[in-house]
Amino acid sequence: MRLVALDTFAERIGLKRGQGAAEARAMCPSLDVIAADPAADQAFLEALADWCDRYTPLVALDGTDGLFLDITGCAHLHGGEKALISDVLSRLFSLGVEARATVSSAAGLSWAVTRYGDADVIAPGDGDPVLAPLPVAALRLPADTAAALERVGLKQIGDLLEAPRAPLARRFGSSLLLRLDQARGFEDEPLSPRLPVPSFSAERRLAEPLQDEEYILELTRHLARDVRSSLERHGEGGRLFELLLFRVDGRVFRVRAQAAVPLNDAVRIAALFRERLQAVHDDLDAGYGFEIVRLSVLRSERLDPAQQDFSGAPDESQPLAAFVDKVSARFGPGCLMQATLAESHLPERAGGFAAVTDVAAVLRMPALEEKAFPENRPLRIFAHPEPVEATAEVPEGAPRSFNWRKTRYRVARAEGPERIAAEWWIDGESHPTRDYFRIEDQEGRRFWLFREGLYGRETASPRWFMHGVFA
Amino acid sequence: MAGNAVQRQTVHSLRETIARIEDRGVPRSVRSAKAADPAGFRRGKEEAACRKVLPLGVPQFDEVLQGGLPLEGMMEIRNAETRDAGAAAGFVAALAVLYQRQKKENGRLAPVLWISQTLAACEAGQPYAPGLKTYGLDAERFLFVSARTVKDALWIAETALSVPVFAVVVLEIRGNPACLALSESRRLHVRARAGGVPLLVLRQAGEEEASSAFFRLQVKPAPAGERPLPDGSVLCGSIGHPAFHLLVEKSRRQASDDIFLEWNAHDRRFYSLDERRSAALQTNDEPTDPVDPLSASAGRSRRAQPMGRLLAFARAS
Repeated sequence: MRLVALDTFAERIGLKRGQGAAEARAMCPSLDVIAADPAADQAFLEALADWCDRYTPLVALDGTDGLFLDITGCAHLHGGEKALISDVLSRLFSLGVEARATVSSAAGLSWAVTRYGDADVIAPGDGDPVLAPLPVAALRLPADTAAALERVGLKQIGDLLEAPRAPLARRFGSSLLLRLDQARGFEDEPLSPRLPVPSFSAERRLAEPLQDEEYILELTRHLARDVRSSLERHGEGGRLFELLLFRVDGRVFRVRAQAAVPLNDAVRIAALFRERLQAVHDDLDAGYGFEIVRLSVLRSERLDPAQQDFSGAPDESQPLAAFVDKVSARFGPGCLMQATLAESHLPERAGGFAAVTDVAAVLRMPALEEKAFPENRPLRIFAHPEPVEATAEVPEGAPRSFNWRKTRYRVARAEGPERIAAEWWIDGESHPTRDYFRIEDQEGRRFWLFREGLYGRETASPRWFMHGVFA
Repeated sequence: MAGNAVQRQTVHSLRETIARIEDRGVPRSVRSAKAADPAGFRRGKEEAACRKVLPLGVPQFDEVLQGGLPLEGMMEIRNAETRDAGAAAGFVAALAVLYQRQKKENGRLAPVLWISQTLAACEAGQPYAPGLKTYGLDAERFLFVSARTVKDALWIAETALSVPVFAVVVLEIRGNPACLALSESRRLHVRARAGGVPLLVLRQAGEEEASSAFFRLQVKPAPAGERPLPDGSVLCGSIGHPAFHLLVEKSRRQASDDIFLEWNAHDRRFYSLDERRSAALQTNDEPTDPVDPLSASAGRSRRAQPMGRLLAFARAS
């Protein structure tokens, strides 16, 4: 067991990272050793990144212990860079997180100063004097490059700034110069934010935290109205919405709701979240309340404003879309399904269900060609054919009687066989052939049975299955 | 004289109220009184009180349904055993075809919404789109919801009934769950009437239970006819159009007999199985090799009890 992280007190008494736990215990018998849990650390960092969403939508993770916040164009909303940084630090302190932060014009410079320096805001152009006294490790170099630099006496970044570039590149590779240029702001460094930036969003910061669901919905409607105006300006409607709820203790809840058609109506958007909040009710613990509520549009589509005609006939796809939204918001998007037909010989592939994607098409799509489907298909089909014990003529006769679900049925009439071979281009060539029989028992129930495999050629003792029931 | 007239009017208005509560057309005595006393009643209301129906073209069945299938409100169809689910689903699908065709004739392509309790779909099989298509249903407009619990299914059904888009809403429930009792069925019925959408409750393997539906029918399987050949004869030993054996369990008209219907998917309508055959079916009651039913309803004879004696059933759930 080795130490991977230390608190301030442990650092003060001289423990080091990488030290054996037994050795550390010998130095300090009252040491409290906690097993490292990288997954929990990562989850915590991501929760913090969520929390940082309140400052900017562009938050990127940096390794296991850092966050990059791209505050371009955001700082003035929080009273300037200085005020922003002190707000971040004081809030994090009250959450019990020890943090350091630097604002500068380059990500590399901020990284170096946060970890090795002590400035909080660095104005553009002031980078080099701040950077010069820092050790070369502050350039995010690989460990062996940093060690090699130190061996030749280039211990501080200032030494590198004055050295000629060509020999440095020849000896230590181009990554050193890249890192140096990134820290000085000569080379652009793209940050990859964790989450895509929503195209439209509106938020409200509250003086008094909100707890009641009704108020949240009311606020959502207000926010939807704000979003609506920008959606209308772009001629778009939202398909995927996200409601971010920042709880006062730092936890962030994300509630997503999908719409079946592009929406920009505030009431409809709020109605989506009404169902969604009902569905996630148990997971959404309001605690001491939410202090920031934000509504974002994650995906939007073109929405042509439609004019109602003089006849006053209502557009039928609107109420259907509202119904689809309501049901999918409550029970998940795959809940409402639409029958699909496919060109396949195997019955289970020929018909199925898929989630409703295009609501307008449900009302307008013309019927498919009738002739594409065989006449005798059952009304209900079992997802997994149920094995039955059948007595049948050998080799290819219809069953005379069979046992299904512990009941014996005598066959009065049978039609068949309809031979359906497996689709070798999907299932492979060894898949058995099926002989389907349409069967009526003595009381008039009609079933669809099949024998799996042909006598002699494919199997010696074929099994029988119940696949569906007819009207 | 004046007192007498007031008394008579009170009686008539009471009768009208009762008729409205019972959801029946205005009785003849009141109607004649209206004709005699034009000042006392508003005439427009009588036409509005008439139910909208869709005649089926089978006189015996239309008589039981008081003119035809109700175009709004609830109707219950049940089957006694799970293995009869095919027949019940077939009958419901046939009604859905009729409803959908009626909407199409009015110039609207209306979808059918089939809400099924997941358990019901597991036990009796999922609706199968190619089969529904050959049965006459517009499968492109068939929406299916599998609801995990009965409460979810009821919620979806209630939401759907306020959407004036669906040709018909089918609610498939297994057994007699406690959360679909008289008051819930009343609520659904009222919603369906307010929304102008027909609601078919398909109760799979359930007992008969008091509900607010207009009608309750029990569907049993019946041997199908044989396939007709072009020269008018039939193909011996073949299985023709699906046939149903209906027992009317709740209706304002007393059902005199069992009803045997045949669904012709090609014509998209019901035909009555010919009398000779249905008579033969009724007498040939005992099968030669009887099958022990798994969940026979206790203490019930083969046919539904005649109407009018029993007022309300005990809760079966």
